[in-house]
This record gives sequence, structure tokens and C-alpha cells, in this order.
Amino acid sequence: MNECDYIESRRSFYLDDELRADERVVFEEHLDRCQSCRDEVTEERQFLEGLRQAGPLYEAPVELRRRIEEIASRGGLRDVTPVGTESPSHSLRSQSWLLGSGFARSWFARLGRIERVASLSAIGILVALLGIYYLRGAEPPLTGVPSGFAKLAVEAHQQHLGGELSLEISSTSPEVVSDWFSGQVSFSVKLPNYQEASGQDQLYQIEGGRVVQFNNDPAAYVSYQMDKQPISLLVTTDSVAAPSGGEEVVSKGITFHYDTIDGFKVITWSDRGLTYALVSNLKERGQQSCLVCHQGTRDKDFLEGFNAGASAPGQSYRIWSSATTVRPLRRFGWVRIRLPNGASD
Amino acid sequence: MAGDGVSEAKTIGSYYRETALDHLDALYGFAVTLTADQIEAQDLLQETYLRAFGACELLMPDSNLKAWLFVIMRNIWLNQIRHRRSGPEFVEIEEQESPRTPWLESGTEDPLKLLLKKVERERVRDAIAQLPQPYREVVVLRDLEGFTYQQIAGIIGCPTGTVMSRLARGREKLRLLLARWKLEVMSKATANKEL
Repeated sequence: MNECDYIESRRSFYLDDELRADERVVFEEHLDRCQSCRDEVTEERQFLEGLRQAGPLYEAPVELRRRIEEIASRGGLRDVTPVGTESPSHSLRSQSWLLGSGFARSWFARLGRIERVASLSAIGILVALLGIYYLRGAEPPLTGVPSGFAKLAVEAHQQHLGGELSLEISSTSPEVVSDWFSGQVSFSVKLPNYQEASGQDQLYQIEGGRVVQFNNDPAAYVSYQMDKQPISLLVTTDSVAAPSGGEEVVSKGITFHYDTIDGFKVITWSDRGLTYALVSNLKERGQQSCLVCHQGTRDKDFLEGFNAGASAPGQSYRIWSSATTVRPLRRFGWVRIRLPNGASD
Repeated sequence: MAGDGVSEAKTIGSYYRETALDHLDALYGFAVTLTADQIEAQDLLQETYLRAFGACELLMPDSNLKAWLFVIMRNIWLNQIRHRRSGPEFVEIEEQESPRTPWLESGTEDPLKLLLKKVERERVRDAIAQLPQPYREVVVLRDLEGFTYQQIAGIIGCPTGTVMSRLARGREKLRLLLARWKLEVMSKATANKEL
């Protein structure tokens, strides 16, 4: 590729102001000495400016604008309560909640709640479950409506991707993030420490966490990065959320719900008093996808199910993941789960 | 966290609800881009604001409100599509003008220039409407709404590289469509002169 070809390949990025400062310098230096490239940039700039100047292409009708302004003046509520509007917890599980007018209000009213429920219980986080989502190979057929909790997890994931859901604690230390959740949510969070668990290559990294509201209860939102791909984990108690919808796969007594929501892969499940939703946009499919997360030599038990067994309250145990084909595996991680006092399995 | 936190959230929510109205036309344009139907776009816009207004308290003070609104709108639209178990329908876009903007009533601009701008705008609108949906939304988000590649990736939920490639292809198609229109205009002008 000669210099002009390179400049051409970067032309749009230059005009969109998406070049790094050093790239921009190189680009402009070339333009200073190359009339041909300068002309092309000028022509492209005129084209783009023409597009921009043509906007806005549409303008909202007056009546619609008035209606929306009215809604804003009422604090975002509709003026008429729909007949049969369900209670928040009920409507969340309603199959028509996404389109129902009651949904918007109740859903975000719940999200907006600041109050914290003070009851004490405990949780563990099963981050290592990501790979099992792909175990079934091709995209699973949808067999039901995904749970509101799964949808919230996807919504939170998307908002985080768009920079609209900032983390309240930012740290690459699982311990720091775990400690932060203490007192923020109604259960204790123990996130896995990859180094501690494997001593192998770090495949993923925790970014931090925050609290989001679900069914008037604070849920723990944890953000990870794997190969620059974001992964979100949302956790709450199973009394607040129950997984549903998608394709159900039972493994060692745990029912996993595999789904795709807004193009994101979601797996939800309940275990030992807690409900989890894991969201990613990893593209891999099938067994190879399992290797993305479950690249550990000691992961043998995982894909055949959980090596959990019963745990006494307050006891920790490990969950190992497995993959048995293609290449040597490295473990994604492990999780200690501390059960709430008095909780039964 | 309950006392001050709640009142602070309400203040932020109130501020964002007001500010959100600034993006009404932009969102309406995006709604038309997604639905290719102005009536459906109106429903989508209203639902977007309903959901957004109820969640404004969630936003942090430095949030990008505009990008957030676009994400909400797109999610609602995708969910609606899924609910119908069918893909987006591409229907004829109505050419009805909004009564809110009297094109030729501005006292500050030359009416001829306004007329030319209107014609050009209609052509651009037609050309964008002819783009395949994945290209169309990226072109609108970048070239009309001014989002960065990364923001667009967040809005449509795909990698930045995909945004770049769709944008490049979308612009290329758009350029061809508009060039074709200009050629037609020029040939008509030449024909008129000859007459």
C-alpha cells in the first residue's frame, strides 16, 4: 500500500474526527504535499457537509410534540391508567410487559428507586458459566418470553456499552468490587479472583460494578472485559427474580435459560437462593465458544454439569468448568459462594 | 442513601426530562429511519419518551442523554419487531410535511435558498430511505446526528469496526443515489435549454 492508498483508507476517519492525534498529523502532512489526495478530501468533505446541512430530515408533528411535552410535565407518566395495569412485580413477569403501557412506567419506576432493602442474605457469583451458553452450538430456538430480569441485564449491558450506565465502583480487583457491594445489596458478593484460581493467562478482567434496581430491590451489576468484549453479570435473590423463557437446559439440577435479546447472548439461572443473568456479545458458537471462557485444564466437570453438591450455610465451595475437546483448556475462574445463614439448599 | 440521594435523583431526573425534549426532532428522524413509517414513528417516539422520562432519575449528571435516548428507542423498536415475529417492514414514506416548520416563512433567509434547501433535503431523505436498514441507521446516526463511531456502536450494539464498514458502504450507496439524481437534474436542465 503506497502512501496515497493509506491516506484514502483513513479519509473518512479523518473527516469524522476519528483519527488519533499522531495519525492526524501524518494525514495532514501528506495532504500538504499531495494535491490529488487534498482534492479527494475536499470532495468528500463537501459531500458529508451536504448531508449534514440537509438535516434534520424529519420534524415531529406539532400534536405529537405537545403530547410528549405534556407527558414530561407529568413527570413521565401517562395521563390514563390502563385498565388492568398490574402491580410492578406482576407486570414484570407478564408476557406482554414490553409493549404494555403499564410496563414503561412500572419498570422504570422500579429502576428509579433509591431505597435499599436491608434484609441480610448472601450470594456467590458464577462468572464461569459464560461458556455453557454456547454448549448447544447453534442459536437456540426461542421457546418463551425471557424474564424481566434477563431484559434488565441486557438493558444494563447496552447502557453500559453506550456509556450511559456508569460504574459506581471501578476496580480491576475482584476483592475491592466485592467489598464495595457490602451494604449496597441485600446479599454478600464474593467475586472470583482469576489469579488466585488459576495462575494462568488472564482471559478476562473485572472492571467494576454498581447497583441497579429490580423489583424494588437492589441488584448487583458487575462488568467484565474479555478480549475487549464487554460481559455483564447481574445478580439478585431468587425471591426477587426467577429466570424464564428461552431454551431451557437442565444440568445437574440447575435449569439454564438460553436466550438472545436485542442481539446479545443471555443466560439466566437460579441457584442456591440467587438468580443470575450473564450478557455478552461474543460471536463464537458451539464447542469452540466454550473455550473462550473455559480454557482451563481443570475444567473437566463443568460442561457436564456442576460439581457443586450440597453446601452448608456459610460454607465455600468451588465450581469448576470443563471443556474436553480441541485444545488444552484453561480455567475461566472460580467462585466462592457463601450461603446465607439458615438458608437451605 | 435514601434522603439526599432521592432528592438529588429527582432533581437530575427533572433536568433530564426537560433537556430530553431538545432531541425530539432528532429522535423522530431516527424513529422514521427505523420504522420507515411516520405513523409508526410517532408511536415509537412517544413510547421512547415515556420510558425515558420514567428512568431519568437513573442517569448520572454527566450522562450522554442523547445517546441514551437513541439506545432506548432502538431497543423498543427491536422488541416490537421481535414481538411481531417479523422483520421491519419497508413501506412507502409519506411525503407529508410537518406543519410545525413553515419552510418559506423565515424572514432571515432568501426564500430561493430555502426552497433549494428543501428540495435538497427531500432528495437526501429519499436517498437515505433507499438504503438498506443497517446502513441507513448508521448513516443517520453519524452524518445527521453527529454521534461518534463508539457511541454508534453502543447504540446499535455492535463492534466499532462494523459501524465503520456499514458507514462506508452506506455513504457509498448514498453517493451513488445522489449522483444519479444530480445527473437527472442536469440532463433535464440541458434538455430545457435546448427547447
